[in-house]
Amino acid sequence: MNKVFSVRDLRFTYPKSEIEAVQGISFDVHEGEVFGLLGPSGAGKSTTQKILTKLFRSYQGTILYNGKDLSDYRNDYYEDIGVGFELPVHFSKLTGLENMQFFAQLYKQRTAIEPLLEQVGLLEDKDRLVATYSKGMKMRLNFVRAMLNKPKVLFLDEVTNGLDPKNARILKDQIRTFKEAGGTVFLSTHLMNDVEELCDRVAFIRGGKIVETSTPRALKIKHGQRSVTVEYYENNHTQAETFDLDGLADNAAFLRLLKEKKIETMHSGETSLDEIFIKVTGVSAHEDA
Amino acid sequence: MRMHNFLKLFKGEMVRLVKYNILQVSFAVTVLWLLVIFLIGKEQAPVFVPLFIFMDAAVMTIMLIGAGLFYEKQENTIKTLMITPSGYAAILSSKLLAAVYLALQSTVIISVFAYFLFDVAVRFVALYGFIIIITLAHASIGYVFAARAKDFNGLIAMVGMYMVLFAFPSIFFALGALPETFDYLLFISPTHASLRLVNYGFAESVPLWQLGLGFLYLVVLTVVLMVFMVAPKYAETAIRE
Ligand SMILES: Nc1ncnc2c1ncn2[C@@H]1O[C@H](COP(=O)(O)OP(=O)(O)OP(=O)(O)O)[C@@H](O)[C@H]1O
Ligand SMILES: [Mg+2]
Repeated sequence: MNKVFSVRDLRFTYPKSEIEAVQGISFDVHEGEVFGLLGPSGAGKSTTQKILTKLFRSYQGTILYNGKDLSDYRNDYYEDIGVGFELPVHFSKLTGLENMQFFAQLYKQRTAIEPLLEQVGLLEDKDRLVATYSKGMKMRLNFVRAMLNKPKVLFLDEVTNGLDPKNARILKDQIRTFKEAGGTVFLSTHLMNDVEELCDRVAFIRGGKIVETSTPRALKIKHGQRSVTVEYYENNHTQAETFDLDGLADNAAFLRLLKEKKIETMHSGETSLDEIFIKVTGVSAHEDA
Repeated sequence: MRMHNFLKLFKGEMVRLVKYNILQVSFAVTVLWLLVIFLIGKEQAPVFVPLFIFMDAAVMTIMLIGAGLFYEKQENTIKTLMITPSGYAAILSSKLLAAVYLALQSTVIISVFAYFLFDVAVRFVALYGFIIIITLAHASIGYVFAARAKDFNGLIAMVGMYMVLFAFPSIFFALGALPETFDYLLFISPTHASLRLVNYGFAESVPLWQLGLGFLYLVVLTVVLMVFMVAPKYAETAIRE
């Protein structure tokens, strides 16, 4: 598999800061995959994205982009990548469309703006000043901004943050479409949901260090218990019983339950990614580190 | 530096000067200067007009650049410009050129007004040429200040300090409140160099060596500040949250 990025022992310290925000992380991003960088607030996700997008250039360690050192790339690197920032990045006194037109003209490769706006449901609002947009609209415009130059690699920092489920769905579908067309995605998030739905591989980051790299599925299997819990109704209240997943088909007690009781719920015990997040990083996904 | 991107960036800056009402405010300030000139009358006009033009190109430029940087940081728009294939050189130059445009606009209006209505003698070509380098030098100073200031109030404080340390002595000198010897002392000050150039633009007799040195000083100052202080720190300044 082709490596789009190959990062080794990456370190970065903010000026006037005592501690390293990124403390020697290594990972690869493969062509055509959605790679997730997952971690609690302050873990170093945005910092890592800013280094990979060459906004911060004084890092230690090596970053190869398509096999060549990132620092050897000039401005043409930016023709290849699209960057979705964590916060809105628009001129508030220009309309949504004016913003996009201004940025689009700076690239050699451009895509039509209006279809993009339409895909994220902003076409009707294109002539309104961005100052009058809601947070969710600004975040969707951020995504359009990232897609203007038909990027090969898409960087997305907390794309679905602050979006209602419907709009989050729209963006996730867009990301999937982008991937299906052969694009590579580097996604930073603290939302398990995003990872579970989108990521092919995921690295957990905490305190500037990567603590585990895996696939969402492998993580679930590794950290989950292989069991099933059956809740059933008996004697006027709900009771629960847990069975081993192995040999379940021949488990007489389990089969008897299915036949004789009124089953209310049945859950396999693969731990949810939310629980794994807490287990691996030691912090709850929504709590600040 | 990509030339075609530079032109697009410059056009973008000009559009935003209008959309953010900066051009309008600058024009209003110019009208205010005109009113003041009208009030002080023909007699005093030759003394004060150069000072107004100097203030506009120097102090207003620092404020424009500094405030602009803070505002853009707030809107996060510099970040998203920096991930375009434009390069910092083109981005910074486009902003400098926009500042030059604003200063020239006021200078042209004030100088034409003063020349035709108040009989103030003007060397137009020299004046406009010098205003360009004065604006560039002060735009660089504006960036250096903004990089060091924590917020907009910090910037205002620095501009205040700059006025007291550099601008006021030059203004007092121009008004004849300081002895001749200060002419040499003040020559290490960018404001004094600027003011002497503006004075020449208003047909005052300024020794050629002073003109040459003043001009050179501002060019060197601009290049040194932009190349060694502003550009290398631009990303850091612009992204800092
Ligand atoms: N400009 C800065 N100066 C100094 N330290 C900083 C700066 N920006 C971030 N940091 C520190 O670097 C560390 C990593 O921050 P970063 O923004 O990368 O976290 P994150 O994982 O993106 O968090 P979040 O989920 O809240 O966005 C944090 O400890 C933060 O305090
Ligand atoms: Mg972040």
